[in-house]
Amino acid sequence: MIRLHCAVFISFTLSLLASVGSSSAWAQSTLPIADAHIHYSHDSVENTPPERVIELMRGANLKFALVSSSDDNGTQKLSELAPDLIVPGLRPYRRRGEVSTWFTDEAALEYVEKLLTTNHYASLGEFHLYGETADLPIPRRIVELAAKHNLVLHAHSDADAVERLLAQNPTVKVLWAHSGFDTPADIASMLDKHDRLWADLAFRSEVGRGGKLSDEWLSLFTQFPTRMMLGTDTYTPERMYFLPEHAETARVWLATLPAELAENIAWKNAFDLLMPHWQANKPQAQTSTIPATLIDEPTANQCGVSDDPSNYVVSSEPTLVIQPLSTIAVSEPFSVMMTICDTDLTGMKLELNATMPAHGHGMNYTPELTVVEHSDERMKVQVDGLVLHMPGNWNWVVNLRSPSTDTTLSFDFNIQ
Amino acid sequence: MVVSATVFGVLGFQSLAIAQDNPLDGRSQDSTVTLTPTEIGLIKSFGPWPMPIPPDPGNELSGLAWAEALGRQLFHDTDLSGGRDLSCASCHVSEFGLAENLKTSKGAKQHVRNSQSLLNAGLQHWFGWDGGADSLWAASLRPMLSDIEMNADIPVVAKRYRAKPVIKQSLAHYTDIDELSDEAFVVLLSKAIAAHTRTLVSGITPFDRYRQALLDNDKDSQANYPDAAKRGLKIFMGEANCHVCHFGADFSNGEFHDTGRPFFTDVGQIDSGRYSGIKRVRQDPYNLLGRYNGTQQDTERRKTQTVKLGQGNFGQWRTPSLRNLALTAPYTHDGSLPTLRSVVDAYADIDPARLHSQGESLLKPLDLDDAAREDLVQFLESLSETVSD
Repeated sequence: MIRLHCAVFISFTLSLLASVGSSSAWAQSTLPIADAHIHYSHDSVENTPPERVIELMRGANLKFALVSSSDDNGTQKLSELAPDLIVPGLRPYRRRGEVSTWFTDEAALEYVEKLLTTNHYASLGEFHLYGETADLPIPRRIVELAAKHNLVLHAHSDADAVERLLAQNPTVKVLWAHSGFDTPADIASMLDKHDRLWADLAFRSEVGRGGKLSDEWLSLFTQFPTRMMLGTDTYTPERMYFLPEHAETARVWLATLPAELAENIAWKNAFDLLMPHWQANKPQAQTSTIPATLIDEPTANQCGVSDDPSNYVVSSEPTLVIQPLSTIAVSEPFSVMMTICDTDLTGMKLELNATMPAHGHGMNYTPELTVVEHSDERMKVQVDGLVLHMPGNWNWVVNLRSPSTDTTLSFDFNIQ
Repeated sequence: MVVSATVFGVLGFQSLAIAQDNPLDGRSQDSTVTLTPTEIGLIKSFGPWPMPIPPDPGNELSGLAWAEALGRQLFHDTDLSGGRDLSCASCHVSEFGLAENLKTSKGAKQHVRNSQSLLNAGLQHWFGWDGGADSLWAASLRPMLSDIEMNADIPVVAKRYRAKPVIKQSLAHYTDIDELSDEAFVVLLSKAIAAHTRTLVSGITPFDRYRQALLDNDKDSQANYPDAAKRGLKIFMGEANCHVCHFGADFSNGEFHDTGRPFFTDVGQIDSGRYSGIKRVRQDPYNLLGRYNGTQQDTERRKTQTVKLGQGNFGQWRTPSLRNLALTAPYTHDGSLPTLRSVVDAYADIDPARLHSQGESLLKPLDLDDAAREDLVQFLESLSETVSD
């Protein structure tokens, strides 16, 4: 079955959900986790190399992690190292110890505003804010910035402050850190009252203690199956090493839930809340100087490639056409022909790779590339040994490397 | 410093001390440091000392004189270690309050933790910095079998001690060791060691004498206690809130807390403290839920059955007793604080961001000047026996 198209984010999510099994046993052994509460702050950077952090995350089978750090340097380090794994958040702290001063500190605001002009984020937070301090000028500006930059607020706050934040803007969303350390009944009340509120379970030891959920928590999760998510909260450098343990412990109690609800809490709710923001905000092709657009139309004889409905134009400047040479099916090896023209092809080299960003992995095989034509007008490269071993949304990356410039084209691809 | 081999029955004199306690008022105070009635009540709660030591749970040898004598021999015997080069006393040195003066201990391999004092260990509920043992006898057995510490194993230890006539003779009236499995035999040896360890009780300190002088309204004796220590005591009970965890006559609640101390052991390596301790004690075949619990009392087993494991345990350490702490430097689980002053500074300058608390935190930075910090040190030093004792 071949279906190469410009995947829409929501359709990917639904298709993947439809493809997974429904047994709790499956959930316990392999259930991916999205961790919505990670900090990699300055002292953590000093103690643990970013490579080790990524290793811990992958070892915990994290699908992705919302990372915010004091200062932002740690988040950027992780993001550079594993852009498929890290969803960056920006917290208004330059160092630890600013949790109770930032909201009256103009320098903290300046720090946030400056970073928003240079970096890309999905959220603003985690910040600490209680009661009426949420209505002070600096927090108000933070809400404005969240709305302006399409960011989710990540608030370590009491219910009062959460309501004040939500009231300041009609569209802004709030991820309630630690679910406010409120009771399940009070969390339910807040979620019922505010449809722009989600809640993380970071540092809530009582949730699933001993591998079992209390009736109160089960009731909350059942009542709001799409609003709760997991988080570790690495508030000290050492806590980073709790990531695998946290994920494994969560899997134990998640396995007591119906599979769909378990998946929601494990990763899908975080995915649905954060990823649309991150997909919209992140640099679309971080090293690209050319918009990467997969044009879901026949090639119309571009680059001299035959007019065939199974061929697709990835880019028009320069023109890049991908032509499947065999059937594309899950876990089946296939080949494509890449053809590029309308650009200076002197010294040009092409590379092709594919990853599943939401899963944090790529292909299990390294494709073989063979240049079958390289003239001044056109370059054709055959790619063999491609295997997409899971159904869902894949991200293709084509690197165009020439002596003068490197360009990356990135586009989504859905396979069922 | 006196390490007294005190048996349980002898400690009966404690009730006499309790009987001597009387309600106090400010009249018993000296002229330069004033105590409030609340403070006097707290000081009263820090005694009397010594206090009765309960039996070691699950240890049928606990309190038996012959077992305590045997345990004392074993405590100093290097045949308990795989290389015949280490005894319990190697890392629990009398001169250093039955701890040692090294940052972290070195057994068969380098350890990542500081040796804890065994003085008054019988008052604890959990043993080791992480509470990974739920009885003194399990805590005595674990170092033998640890490849980091004494690096022995049960068959080796059993073979060595079965060959010692003195051991067979000591136990002859109690059991025929030839009928015991190697494991049961070595467990019995660990219980004898624990019977001895339980008797290791620290002596009377300057603070104890001051407390008693307050109770007796003996102003002359009160005057012997330095004003600096009295001021430190007030800080200890006041703004520093030390007494909340370091309470009672042993100055310890016996439980576990995160005091913001780092717990990296190397690059990319951590020691998760109580979190791993709970997991360890649950899995320990020699815990109170196991077959070697010699008393099988429900009350003793309950703590092991019901202890909760949660995220908050990650990086927690057992609240140590403060008695004789002047002898046991360096301090904390990894020996990272070399002096009492550095301990005071660590608490006074604590980083709240390392403590995940909701609402008011017990631990918070203290506005203590240098003199106040030295006063606190003076008080802590007064919890140790002195040469004149």
